[in-house]
Amino acid sequence: MILKTPEKNTHQYGKVEGTGYQSPEVWSKVTGKAVYGIDLAMPGMLHGKILRSPHPHARIKKVDTTAAKALPGVRAVLTGAELENRPFGIAVEDELPLAVDSVRYIGDEVAAVAAVDLRTAERAIKAIKVEYEELPAVYDPSEALQVGAPQLHDNFPGNVAWQREMERGSSDAVFAGADLVVEENFTIPAINATYLEPIACVAVDDPYTGITLHTALQSPDAVRNIVAKALNYPLSKVNINGPVMGGGFGGRVYGNLKVYILSALLAINSGSPVKIQLTREEEFTAGRPMIAAAIKMKMAVKSDGTILGREADIITDNGAYSGQAPWVSKTLSERNDSVYRIPSIKTRVRLAYTNKIPTGQYRAYGNQAANFAAESLIDMAAKKLGLDPLEMRLKNCVREGDITVHGLKIGKCGLSECLQAAAREIGWDHKKTGRGYGLSVAIHANGSLVFDKKFRGASALARLELDGRVTLFSGEQDYGQGTHAAFAQIAARALDVNPSQVTVESKETKTAPFSTGALAMRQTTVGGKAIQLAAEDLREKIFKAAAELAGEPVTMGNGVLYSITGQNLELAEIAYHYHNTTSGLSLTGEGKFVPEESDYDESGYGNISVAYSYAAHAVEVEVDKTTGALTINRLVAAHDSGRIVNHLTSRGQVYGGVAQGIGMSCFEGYLFDEGRVANASLVDYKIPTALDLPEIKPLFIEVEDPAGPYGSKGLGEIVMVPVLGAVANAAADAAGVWITDLPLTAEKIYQAMAGWECEI
Amino acid sequence: MNNLKKQVLIFQLNGEPMGILADPAESLLTILREKLGLYGTKAGCGKGECGACTVLLDDRAVNSCLVPAGKVQGRKVETIENLSQGGKVHPIQEEFVEKGAVQCGFCSPGMVMSAHALLKENPQPNPEQVRVAISGNLCRCSGYKQIEEAILSAAEKM
Repeated sequence: MILKTPEKNTHQYGKVEGTGYQSPEVWSKVTGKAVYGIDLAMPGMLHGKILRSPHPHARIKKVDTTAAKALPGVRAVLTGAELENRPFGIAVEDELPLAVDSVRYIGDEVAAVAAVDLRTAERAIKAIKVEYEELPAVYDPSEALQVGAPQLHDNFPGNVAWQREMERGSSDAVFAGADLVVEENFTIPAINATYLEPIACVAVDDPYTGITLHTALQSPDAVRNIVAKALNYPLSKVNINGPVMGGGFGGRVYGNLKVYILSALLAINSGSPVKIQLTREEEFTAGRPMIAAAIKMKMAVKSDGTILGREADIITDNGAYSGQAPWVSKTLSERNDSVYRIPSIKTRVRLAYTNKIPTGQYRAYGNQAANFAAESLIDMAAKKLGLDPLEMRLKNCVREGDITVHGLKIGKCGLSECLQAAAREIGWDHKKTGRGYGLSVAIHANGSLVFDKKFRGASALARLELDGRVTLFSGEQDYGQGTHAAFAQIAARALDVNPSQVTVESKETKTAPFSTGALAMRQTTVGGKAIQLAAEDLREKIFKAAAELAGEPVTMGNGVLYSITGQNLELAEIAYHYHNTTSGLSLTGEGKFVPEESDYDESGYGNISVAYSYAAHAVEVEVDKTTGALTINRLVAAHDSGRIVNHLTSRGQVYGGVAQGIGMSCFEGYLFDEGRVANASLVDYKIPTALDLPEIKPLFIEVEDPAGPYGSKGLGEIVMVPVLGAVANAAADAAGVWITDLPLTAEKIYQAMAGWECEI
Repeated sequence: MNNLKKQVLIFQLNGEPMGILADPAESLLTILREKLGLYGTKAGCGKGECGACTVLLDDRAVNSCLVPAGKVQGRKVETIENLSQGGKVHPIQEEFVEKGAVQCGFCSPGMVMSAHALLKENPQPNPEQVRVAISGNLCRCSGYKQIEEAILSAAEKM
């Protein structure tokens, strides 16, 4: 018996509400047949477990594994001292597979064990005796930057993991001549991506093929490089084979490198496949949340609302190891500057090491954290000047043809239309009494040209199979965001076939084309463009082969080729003809999208992306004056992501991204107690449930942008960015006071309304 | 080595009689996944916080990670595998796909089972009742909107 497949979906770009092609994988997911990382098992597989530091900062004096090794069923016990232990990292190589001399956070990896079952592995972990000498620790990033603070890494004096100072224009003069200067301090906690499936990895070591890691990653090629280097294996001897991924949201771009490296080392040392699976608690205490930030920001404006300049002094909390935090800090510190015509900028950002959980990244890469600060400041200025926040935004927002303060070239841009549409839909001109209203805007890049200056684009292959179907080979991963459905639609459009005739293959790094990864909102624009080019190349090759077979010119329609004399040629016939005449080759189209090099200079000025997406959100809220409780009634999300490839999945991206933005606005965030994560469960770290969300209205302002495939651009990250500023502004409008410390809990709003903090 | 603690557990699983030797203190989730190979039921937290492991126990939705195996003695257990047998897909599953309610899909089996329990008890729920019924099932991808639409649509079609 064969399950029903979604044949009835239209193969055109879905314009009609409720329609849209979906990858056939949704059927295996909804029936429980999809195999995720946690479901994997192999013959002879062992279970790995990691011993973690109970101290925020300590010297390791002695590790005794004798008792653990003697336990029946234990097959490998690893400590830092016994390993070659090559340093590795993402932005900075500041990590070791296992700690040798010191531990730097509660959760730091000290030893790893593989045993015949999980219970034995857990017993073995408990049997390892570690003697520590506790060291002074530092938890607050601004304290960490002070002279005399406990030092985490010898090669990073002053606990500065990364820093940057930049000035564009002359800020002092601009601020001296301003009609109004608004200034505020904002704080944003660390945020957990909270993908629902905990990270799991099965490592298999084979003397001939090398290491295979069965684990789901957004950026398997990047992780492959790091793992190969950490293991000192040739790159071709490391393969990552992805099962179905239970959510990513940026958290699985690099996932948890320790899990991959340690499962590989345990597999090598035990000679058996080893599975390490994080518990939910480990995800919260030893995962890689997005950095917390303290943003001191001020803005100079003219009395008519024209923005003259902005200054920011930002401290971000790296935790014990860097991960992607330098890059996240960079985006956090500058991306928001490019959504308005701001002539001058002066920014300092410092990323500080602290004895807390190391950090990684999360959907929107800090752009949403800065949105909270920058967009709150716009409304603060508008209120002081007696201006309409909508008018002030419309006056300043970027438009097509602009070059922003950081050198971003604004191409096709529907930002002002997004603002007007969102405001209209929320009822900006006929606000209800007793409600608060807020707006916010965002810009987000579609892939980075400067992430790796030598590698800027994407490539793909499109192969005509012998049965006439088409297989796309791409390194771009789909974990439910709809990338593969979009790719099938793009190729189907180029080839004039139904998308259900197209399969996307991206599973293994050893066979898939290289990809930078599902990050930086690059997949539709950059990866999709490569798909379009590959499909167009295949189309040309099909025409050539068909003309050869027919002996006369051909045209194509609905997946069938017609010769001028009326011969019909099926794609399968052409595939076979080529196969026979080449002794087995397949008709294969190659697509390589190589964007122009960026003019990015040493100061970071330049056009960093092939295209940008835009958004404006409008929110209506109510605040209970007796409790401070914030209720979001409605949120309108207007997006210019170019032409929408698939309205069904795009709406899903908006609903889901807005939900994450609301979680971050209203209740999410890490809490710490002396370096220990104080809310390491899904009960204490609350994410939105079905009862916590307002009515969300997606609006698509489809300004076609030739940069992307058939005018389409990225959507997946920008969806959460404006939520933060819009909710904060609406809450302030309703409460009459500003909350500048996320999340906007009832307690904080109540205290502010009671006059315990500054009033407007 | 812990055979002394084990008991014979007899219950109805997906409409068929099932008898196994198991530690009654183990969770139903562990029994389903690791002893019976029913991997459709997902494990997201092991503490009853996420709902990914939702199954039906005597037609009511429960977090199987919180149910000691001993509690299923003589009762009826239904898992996601029961909903798409014999090549047929349950209308709830069909509507989940139709409405775009499946993204990463990790919450989907538990979400479908919560919907299944709801519609058994209340075949014509209103949107608020749907939201309450799935409020114990976390989904990080979808914002729940298309899931709610799918369940309401399934109720109409069933």
